[in-house]
Amino acid sequence: MVDKSLKILVVDDFPTMRRIVRNLLKELGFENVDEAEDGAQGLEKLRTGGFQFVVSDWNMPNLDGLEMLKQIRLDPALKSLPVLMVTAEAKKENIVAAAQAGANGYVVKPFTSATLEEKLNKIFEKMAG
Amino acid sequence: MSAESMPEAENTSAEAMPAESAGAVDLIHRIASLTRMLRENMRELGLDQAIKNAAEAIPDARDRLRYVAQMTEKAANRVLNATDAAGPIQDGLTRTARGLDERWGAWFAQPVEMDAARQLVKDTRSFLADVPAQAQATQSHLMEIVMAQDFQDLTGQVIMRMMDVVGAIERELLQVLLDNADISSERREEVNSLLNGPQVNPEGKTDVVTSQDQVDDLLASLGF
Repeated sequence: MVDKSLKILVVDDFPTMRRIVRNLLKELGFENVDEAEDGAQGLEKLRTGGFQFVVSDWNMPNLDGLEMLKQIRLDPALKSLPVLMVTAEAKKENIVAAAQAGANGYVVKPFTSATLEEKLNKIFEKMAG
Repeated sequence: MSAESMPEAENTSAEAMPAESAGAVDLIHRIASLTRMLRENMRELGLDQAIKNAAEAIPDARDRLRYVAQMTEKAANRVLNATDAAGPIQDGLTRTARGLDERWGAWFAQPVEMDAARQLVKDTRSFLADVPAQAQATQSHLMEIVMAQDFQDLTGQVIMRMMDVVGAIERELLQVLLDNADISSERREEVNSLLNGPQVNPEGKTDVVTSQDQVDDLLASLGF
């Protein structure tokens, strides 16, 4: 079973999307959620420690989601952190690039809560296994 | 007085022209040259107007897009606020009903003394009396969600007008290109980038996914 007290970071430049993702996570039982408004702020928060999961947008100012993912994978303290990309970027080369950069899942917007739950569970299963 | 003297002077010279020795051929050349100059000036004026229109349309378009962004954000917040407010009401009703049901279940399984039963009846009646007000509160939050959709009408109109503006700019810019260069065919070059935002028109594009299933299939083919 997944530990519902897992600390999750939601990274998105749109406040409404952060709120929607946070609400969906709450619906799934995850209440320990923090937010960042771009990749740079996301990395900063992640480096202060304590996070076990990241849900990130791609297209953001300052540092985009893919660059943030690459830097997470390069950081010895963060490199095994699971990252789920939730993004409107829907070109095949985007998905390939995210997979190559080490994303653990890829959800295209607009998405349903069922999709988000399914992808989260899939990642948790792999983490446990 | 001086304004009147100008046409007089022109009339004099115009009347004098046919009398000049250069003759009719020269006159035709001069008229042709004037006509060409006039056409060029008119075209230049037309272009000036087109460029002016385009320059004026762009800040207007920016304002309209900002308006759409603001309206949609406001609507999203209204909906999220309403659901945030309605959630605890529903949770409260569920919790109280479940609690009373359990107490009734226990009482039927093993009837206890009159005092406890009286309290249970009293609590149940107070809950029943309270339900319509709670339901009404939830109903008003649902109504707020419905009302928040009013942005669609407004942004829809703005977007339709934006499309007209974009169309006009495209036409005018194309005219500028056609007037100033020998361009026989329009050529669209897709910017190849990983930051494209939502696919507004994915039909017929082979490099784009249109559903989560396609994302999953692609990832599976990559060994994920």
